[in-house]
Amino acid sequence: MTEAADRLARAHASGEPVEPVRELLTDVDQAYAVQRELARRWTGEGARRTGRKIGLTSPSVQRQLGVDTPDFGALFAGMAVPEGAEIPVGAVLQPRVEAEIALVLDADLTQERHTITELIGACGYALPAIEIVGSRIRDWDISLLDTVADNASAGRYVLGGTPVPLPAAGDLRLAGMVLERRGEPVSTGAGAACLGHPLRAALWLADTLARYGEPLRAGDTILTGALGPVVAAEPGDVFEARIEGLGGVRAAFAKETV
Amino acid sequence: MSVAVMAGVLDTAARSARAVPRLTEERELDVPQAYAVQRALVDLRLGRGERLAGIKLGFTSAAKMRQMGVSDLIWGRLTDAMRLADGAHLELGNFVHPRIEPEIAFLIGDRIDERTADPVRAIEAVAPAYEIIDSRYEGFRFSLPDVIADNSSSAAFGVGAWRAPDTELGNLGMLLEIDGRVAETGSSAAILGHPLRSVHAAARLAATAGLALEPGWVILAGAATAAVALERGTHARVRTSVLGTVEVTVHD
Repeated sequence: MTEAADRLARAHASGEPVEPVRELLTDVDQAYAVQRELARRWTGEGARRTGRKIGLTSPSVQRQLGVDTPDFGALFAGMAVPEGAEIPVGAVLQPRVEAEIALVLDADLTQERHTITELIGACGYALPAIEIVGSRIRDWDISLLDTVADNASAGRYVLGGTPVPLPAAGDLRLAGMVLERRGEPVSTGAGAACLGHPLRAALWLADTLARYGEPLRAGDTILTGALGPVVAAEPGDVFEARIEGLGGVRAAFAKETV
Repeated sequence: MSVAVMAGVLDTAARSARAVPRLTEERELDVPQAYAVQRALVDLRLGRGERLAGIKLGFTSAAKMRQMGVSDLIWGRLTDAMRLADGAHLELGNFVHPRIEPEIAFLIGDRIDERTADPVRAIEAVAPAYEIIDSRYEGFRFSLPDVIADNSSSAAFGVGAWRAPDTELGNLGMLLEIDGRVAETGSSAAILGHPLRSVHAAARLAATAGLALEPGWVILAGAATAAVALERGTHARVRTSVLGTVEVTVHD
């Protein structure tokens, strides 16, 4: 497990993807232990956790990896890119973008099994989000164990700046999503693409983290999961996501190689 | 093969629900010739008493155009006999290998011809819709001229409740539910970036063909998601965020 953590930390430090770590791990609990070890190292270096992301929320991605469950990773302040700022080339290895609904909590969720009403009650507001996922594993050659160990392939995230309280956001299951590049829709979808309903994904996260001993807290941001197919990003790309009921958000990648 | 013979082959294929080889396997066919075949094919139907009821657009996403190696949309003609009621039951045996896709439909209020300055102002209403596409070719495989000649694979369509086109249509969530489960998710933005662009495209393509779009006709704007194959007993429902639903059931 230490070797897996070291290998992934090396990719982070060098900016060079590494070989998969799955052969070093026996099960998903060990993969989460690696994720936690990396988070411990980053926190030790001063990183501040801002929330969680949910991954593997679409049926097609789950089929691709041969799993029937989502996974989660940690978000840190250093991953949050203000809208309008450019994402430097190399900040995320092998970057891909996806549009998501972000939920921001104003209460803790500490139960082992929450109800939908408890979740809704704990949500302060929703925001449109673009997540830039990346893999420290070469060529995205990932299994479930690889991506879980690699912090659920988290990279950066951009949040829209206009909060919408949950009751005003409408039916998130039916919320349309379009992700555009140069005026062309490169990914389209709807709320139901995220585990059937973005709130169902959030509920899974709340229960799972409580059992894991690190429950969601007031102030946490939850990236609930992709609402449509993921799109590879190139230097210079500018993406705009619009989510019905929530407005829009832009993510811009710098042109020049540093 | 003449245009009339090719139209006859496709007409027989549709009426007997038996697939035929691609026309282009035996001869060259360009796009203008393919549209001539389509017109002759639909004329056969009109000769049997069917009436034109609108037009459909296909390849309305940049991804689909790239996949087909084309730079423009395709279109087809809808007749009254192709129209099914919301909640209708259909017979699988009337089709070769039908698929369903969720769409947005527009109802034409005022005639749209080459003199129409803004076709969007001629739109009276909008509704959720489904289209049953059913290539008459073996294996649902075809070249661009093949599919155009085959009336752009159109086989049937259904429209939900009309409402005034006063709502923003650019990014409506659209689900295709099969037997109550979500099979495909998408957004109306997948239709040319905004479904109203299909109204302009329909006006342009119809004008090029010398066809006026008449009041009461329907424009099927294009698919919001991939198509799903229909099987015996399938219940399919298109659910949209603000336009409501429309559904169809295949008989057991």
